Amino acid sequence: MKRPALWLSLCLFLLTAGLLFYRIVWLGYPVFPTAPGKTWQLTISAHLPAGTGEARILLGLPAENPGRMVVEERISSGALNLSLTQEGRNRVGVWSGPVESGGQEISYRATILIRPRQASPERPPAIGPYPDRFAREDIALAERLAGRWKGLLLSDLIRAIAATAGGEWKNPPPEMKDLDAWQVLARGYGREETLLLLLRAANLPARRAEGLPLSASIQNHLLTWIECWNGRNWEIILPEKGEVISHSEAFLPLAVGGFPAFRVDTGKLTEIRWSLSQEFVSRWSLHWERIRRSSSFLDRWSLFQLPPEFQRTFRILLLVPIGTLIIGFLRNMIGFPTFGVFMPVLMALAFRSTGLAYGLGIFAGILLVGYAVRLGLDKLRLLLVPRMSVILTLVIVCFTVLALAGNKLGMREFMAVGLLPFVILTMVIERFFVLVEEAGIRQGLRTAAGSAAVSIIAYGIISWEPLQLTFFVYPELLAAVAGVQVLLGRYTGYRVSELLRFRAVGGSS
Amino acid sequence: MILKAFRGLKQAGVLGMNSRNADYIMRCNPRSFFPLVDDKLLTKKRSESFQIPTPALYCVVDRYGDVAGFQAALRGICQFAVKPARGSGGSGIILIRDCAEKGYISQSGELISLQNLVYHISDILSGVYSLSGLEDRAILEALIHPDPVFDAVSYQGVPDIRIVVYRGVPVMAMVRLPTKASDGKANLHRGAIGAGIELNRGTTITAVHRSRVVGNHPDTGKPVGGIQVPYWEKMLWIAARSFEMTGLGYIGVDLVIDRDRGPLLLELNARPGLAIQLANRKGLKERLNQIDQAPAEVFATAEARVGWARKTFM
Repeated sequence: MKRPALWLSLCLFLLTAGLLFYRIVWLGYPVFPTAPGKTWQLTISAHLPAGTGEARILLGLPAENPGRMVVEERISSGALNLSLTQEGRNRVGVWSGPVESGGQEISYRATILIRPRQASPERPPAIGPYPDRFAREDIALAERLAGRWKGLLLSDLIRAIAATAGGEWKNPPPEMKDLDAWQVLARGYGREETLLLLLRAANLPARRAEGLPLSASIQNHLLTWIECWNGRNWEIILPEKGEVISHSEAFLPLAVGGFPAFRVDTGKLTEIRWSLSQEFVSRWSLHWERIRRSSSFLDRWSLFQLPPEFQRTFRILLLVPIGTLIIGFLRNMIGFPTFGVFMPVLMALAFRSTGLAYGLGIFAGILLVGYAVRLGLDKLRLLLVPRMSVILTLVIVCFTVLALAGNKLGMREFMAVGLLPFVILTMVIERFFVLVEEAGIRQGLRTAAGSAAVSIIAYGIISWEPLQLTFFVYPELLAAVAGVQVLLGRYTGYRVSELLRFRAVGGSS
Repeated sequence: MILKAFRGLKQAGVLGMNSRNADYIMRCNPRSFFPLVDDKLLTKKRSESFQIPTPALYCVVDRYGDVAGFQAALRGICQFAVKPARGSGGSGIILIRDCAEKGYISQSGELISLQNLVYHISDILSGVYSLSGLEDRAILEALIHPDPVFDAVSYQGVPDIRIVVYRGVPVMAMVRLPTKASDGKANLHRGAIGAGIELNRGTTITAVHRSRVVGNHPDTGKPVGGIQVPYWEKMLWIAARSFEMTGLGYIGVDLVIDRDRGPLLLELNARPGLAIQLANRKGLKERLNQIDQAPAEVFATAEARVGWARKTFM
């Protein structure tokens, strides 16, 4: 008798296990898709004013490296042509074409994942030649100044050179005339150039970078810094103060090696803005990009392919079967009395918009009002359908009154009342009434309390984000849920509540 | 602690709700046979052909046009019960004990005008008392005058006897005695008390009142145990025959004992409750297993099944 059910659930479990195995081993899905990663949302937006004719704008875009992943990019170019090119180590977006008569907005949006642990190993960069603009005696001066720090460790050397930007020279102090000559040079070429010269003289690979410090901000100009290779990774020198920051992942370069992060070849650009905001997403979203391009069947049929607004719905929907599984468990194994199978789940779904406390309060209030009205209706002896219609109308009236009151009091939770399942509420009122009539008020209240408890538990489960994400990435888990449901359906043992109910029988023998 | 309690129930052979549903109702009661027990009129008609006595049927009203004609059909009978054929939980039942000048007197002494009774019957036809909301028929049948045997231990109303029957074999029995709390209704949920009946001899044993074991009726104060139920053999036979009658393997048979006509089949229940175990302080499961192991000849006739049950379930 039990065998077919066991086989069925075993098959469902194997199906889940097989698909999971395939996804994890072949497709490289994350085993724990819920571990959160830190991502940044970068937005570059610019306005091209009207009447400028042809335009050609170049914007430096974030590049990928082992410590940084560009997960998702969205570019809007309006009527302009857009091309992505490579300039040196940089990715550059080129917007070109005639500007519309009303002006034009262009924007670039990217989700960037920073993975500090995987930041190395980048190939150590080669040391380039001295830039042409420096005269031979300037180079000799730089080499003389840098030569005094020969014995220092690389990181100390970088710090010593960086300190010169603030006018501080570590021992041994250089000769006065060298110092004076260097200051003249610094005034002429600027701090960044002279720092780069000094770093080159000390045989340290270094480059100029333009970009943003990684912190939530909106900027209309970029920060310039110098990146210097310390043998293992890049260190950041902020030329303003001569400060050294050894964790380069705190900065997001948009252009390195002397290329500008934005350039206007022709036309005019006003109001360029770079904004950064932080987002916590789970690791699964990083697979989004990969999955979208993948040709594998399961990837192409992944829920990630849905537009985001529908994805949200499915994140919840996929958990509803767990909700009903829990209800099955609480009813058949524990013995919770509930109004029907679906009522607690639908209540739990509605609580997501009203909040738990308000949702339960509203539920109890409407049930009470509904019961009172139903009691009066009973004397009229209305037929089933009109009777239910009257109750339904009452429920809708309650919703309306609550929403209006919520609006007056400025309480959003009351306004969200319309999302409560009104059909279910109507049926609950009817069933509550019948139960009270047939089995007494105590049984009615017990069932109402049981339903409320079950919907709270179901609410907790469907609101649990890690579980949502896990089911979203691995929808095949539903087969396993069905397997457990089948097993539960074959549970013919006692309910915990029956231990209490039949204690007089159990104790007597 | 909980595990021990689980084992305790198992050893006592208690039948749980899950097991009842999956192992007995779903297995033994084909869905297509349910209408036969859900509709009292069908039950009554079928009972007749099996020589099972039921309260005398005076008239059936199944069309609105016939409502006014029920008085003619009664031919001056002043004691009757009006019931919806598919009502549940005793709703929509009116008991009439006398005729009055412009109507009837109900069991509780209330005057019900003829017009109101007509309304009530129309309500029944339109399905007000049928929970599924389907159209229904109204039954007018003989009023039951309960046998005085339970008078000392019931508060108004009519005590009824429930026998659970598995594969045609009576398994367990109890009598439900109305109390003040149950408003004279023989409904355990409402607070009626259930007294177990020894299957062999047909004598009552201790009773259960709201899952508490009691020795005396809460209103009359008289002991409920030790009462010999009359017509016991006949009642067991009716119960056993209901298997052939309905084709349902697991069924609750509700009987009343009329002062004049003796035991009558009141209704059948395809989902009998589990409280009978409390009334008898005995588990059903143990007996159900015994029936499953019984030799085939036991099941040959209703008489054989009753004989075997009386011998086995002491």
